[in-house]
Amino acid sequence: MDDSLWGFFVQQQGVIKQLAVEHIWIVSAATVIAIVVGVTLGLLASYYSPLANIILPFTQVMMTVPSIAFLALLIPIFGTGFLNGLVALVVYSLLPIVRNTYTGIAGSDPSVIEAARGMGLTERRILLKIKIPLAMPVILAGVRTATVMVIGIGAIVSVIGAGGLGELIFRGISRSYRDMVLAGAIMISLLAMTADYGLGVLERYLRVRQS
Amino acid sequence: MIKISYEHVHKQFPNSDGLAVDDLNMEVPEGDICVLVGPSGCGKTTTMKMTNRLFEPTSGQILIDGVDNREMNPIELRLGIGYVIQEIGLFPHMSVAENVATVLVEKKWAKDRIKQRVDEMLELMGLDPEMHGKRRPSGLSGGQRQRVGVARALASNPPIMLMDEPFGAVDPITRARLQNEFLRVQEQMEKTIVFVTHDIDEAIKMGNRIAVMREGRLVQFAAPDELLSMPADEFVASLVGGNRSIKRLNLVRVKEAELRSVSSLREEDSREKAVELLNNDALNFAVVVDGQGKLLGVVGKSELLKNGDCVKEFYSDVSDVVGLDETLNDTLSIMLGTGDGYAIVVDDQEKPQGVISIEDIFSAVREHD
Amino acid sequence: MIRQNYIWAAVSGILSIVCVVYFVNRPGGRMAARILNYDTILQAYREHLLMVAVASLAAIVVSVSLGVLITRPFFRRGAPLVDNVVNIAQTVPSLAVLALFFIYLGRGFNTAIFALWLYALLPIMRNTSTGIQSISPDIIEAARGMGMNNRHILLRMELPLALPVIMAGVRTSVVITVGAATLASFIGAGGLGDLIITGLAVSRHTLVVAGGILSALLAILLDRILGNLEIYAQR
Repeated sequence: MDDSLWGFFVQQQGVIKQLAVEHIWIVSAATVIAIVVGVTLGLLASYYSPLANIILPFTQVMMTVPSIAFLALLIPIFGTGFLNGLVALVVYSLLPIVRNTYTGIAGSDPSVIEAARGMGLTERRILLKIKIPLAMPVILAGVRTATVMVIGIGAIVSVIGAGGLGELIFRGISRSYRDMVLAGAIMISLLAMTADYGLGVLERYLRVRQS
Repeated sequence: MIKISYEHVHKQFPNSDGLAVDDLNMEVPEGDICVLVGPSGCGKTTTMKMTNRLFEPTSGQILIDGVDNREMNPIELRLGIGYVIQEIGLFPHMSVAENVATVLVEKKWAKDRIKQRVDEMLELMGLDPEMHGKRRPSGLSGGQRQRVGVARALASNPPIMLMDEPFGAVDPITRARLQNEFLRVQEQMEKTIVFVTHDIDEAIKMGNRIAVMREGRLVQFAAPDELLSMPADEFVASLVGGNRSIKRLNLVRVKEAELRSVSSLREEDSREKAVELLNNDALNFAVVVDGQGKLLGVVGKSELLKNGDCVKEFYSDVSDVVGLDETLNDTLSIMLGTGDGYAIVVDDQEKPQGVISIEDIFSAVREHD
Repeated sequence: MIRQNYIWAAVSGILSIVCVVYFVNRPGGRMAARILNYDTILQAYREHLLMVAVASLAAIVVSVSLGVLITRPFFRRGAPLVDNVVNIAQTVPSLAVLALFFIYLGRGFNTAIFALWLYALLPIMRNTSTGIQSISPDIIEAARGMGMNNRHILLRMELPLALPVIMAGVRTSVVITVGAATLASFIGAGGLGDLIITGLAVSRHTLVVAGGILSALLAILLDRILGNLEIYAQR
């Protein structure tokens, strides 16, 4: 069994590489967009509580919705293909990032903020110099959760034609080609574990630097 | 040097009945420490925070050097006022040096000027810049953190300081030390300071003028002496508490008292010399000093009972030592702690200046009347 | 919070019924109509709920036991290792787990249950061990001092005290399982995902959207009910 699996990897390495690249590409694009949008939303939510009261429950509800259901619901709007997949990935990626950014910023130590304000720092300086740096580990934890989650969901988006390593799994299932499915499952799992480990190291590094 | 005036200041918070600050009229003279003291909810912290516009008065005005503080840009105002709070609020992700440099960075000072100033401030507060400058707040003790907090507030040399229970979060011994050090620094700097505390002893020790507040109103505004001898009403009297005479010990420093002279020995001196000195000395003891005159220990009757031909072998360490700036109150505490009726007075370089006894404390207070 | 949960749950439930009625009556084509009828849809719901229920209940039994086990004293040395393994395992996407089980056990409902069960273990196990570990040792010491034996301590003190955290883990696990069950259609397990898959295969958007909405609403409904259970467990 191992022989044929290894053989599959060797034989199909071109295809596998391409699919892996597609997968990483769509996941990275979604994550980058989600970081920009999500951190901004989280920041805004921490300053305007009406906004927080809308955004946070929304993120909570969205996190319970199965990803394939959401993808399905986007089809009438975006059709099938890369864009649909990207939108879904961005939305799911947003959720932990927005939530963590909000928690990290809104949860800043009040006495530190008071000291800063009393000393004459403007709100903008406080945000840049104090709130954001202090919230970095929490925000990064959100990015980490989002990335791992989105790598998994990225496997599903191939169903609607967005490409990626999920292709190996779905095609393998429909053709009952065992090695293909195995290859897909292994690649995706490895990708998720690597991302989680790498970001975990970064997160630990940030936490240590803080104390 | 700047004076601060509060004119008919009122503050009403939206969700509460009653005024947090009710018609406050008070003038803090230049270079004075004005202590706001009173039970919780009396309005002292609110008053302090209106001074740098963290709160805005509902009516009335606060004049800083004759100018209504509402006419100033709030950021500029706060950059010019040193601010120290009880929780200190050191930025945990920045080093000690970076913390102290905060306001200087906002004012866009040049880098080397900042470094020089930060080092100066740390040394002023008794912290070695080399050793502590790069450390993080989490690695410091409570007392050290408080010192950094004060250093940070002093960094830009603001003419005014606002301090809200700045020494509250440490143990009483460290607090007394921090208070003394701060008073010494203030002697050189003569800043105008609004100091909030709930501790009447701290108020008496630190303040040139004390403002007693209750439920938003100013009950008495007077120098500590006057407060102790002529409290305005029952409330002030009970706040000040009984033992007013003992509290007055907070007002006199060791250096104002008359000290007794004491003989000194060197480590190399012989037992015979020690015995001779002790017999001639009214106090029956002598201090032991080193080549530069620094205090090493004492020799008294009990030390002579020990073996040894040379002073070095039988002198004892001494624990009741006070500085010239110590209040008589703290001196008395030390004496009571050791059980001796005296304490050795030393200067900044630890050179003995004399001895102070319990009787001396009493006469000093009596004279001060 | 309790009322909010009830409202969301009620709205999801009602909306589901409304959608089912709507889709059955306006399937948008003959092909879709063959699938969008009450029988098929109810069957899909049954399969889906059965998958979630069986997998979750079985997972609760095993993972709570395992979670308790790794907090026992003789396991102290193994605990960090187990922690690490669990953390790593949780990063594996549900699709991969389903796919792996498909390879070795073939298609079908039973394979899916197995895979879903395994995937549901982790959140509950981790929350059980965390919940028990976060109980103040003083309380346990007091109980022991009063003469409670180990079994009583576990049953009457540790588990009840850890219950809120365990419930939170169950809630997370069930929500994940509903999502994974929707995916399980790909390995022939049935459930609401079938609507989506069939819809994609024959390019009928109504089917796809119907499957999407219904499974989303189901997830929300279950999440909110468990949310209230979680709050009750805290009392």
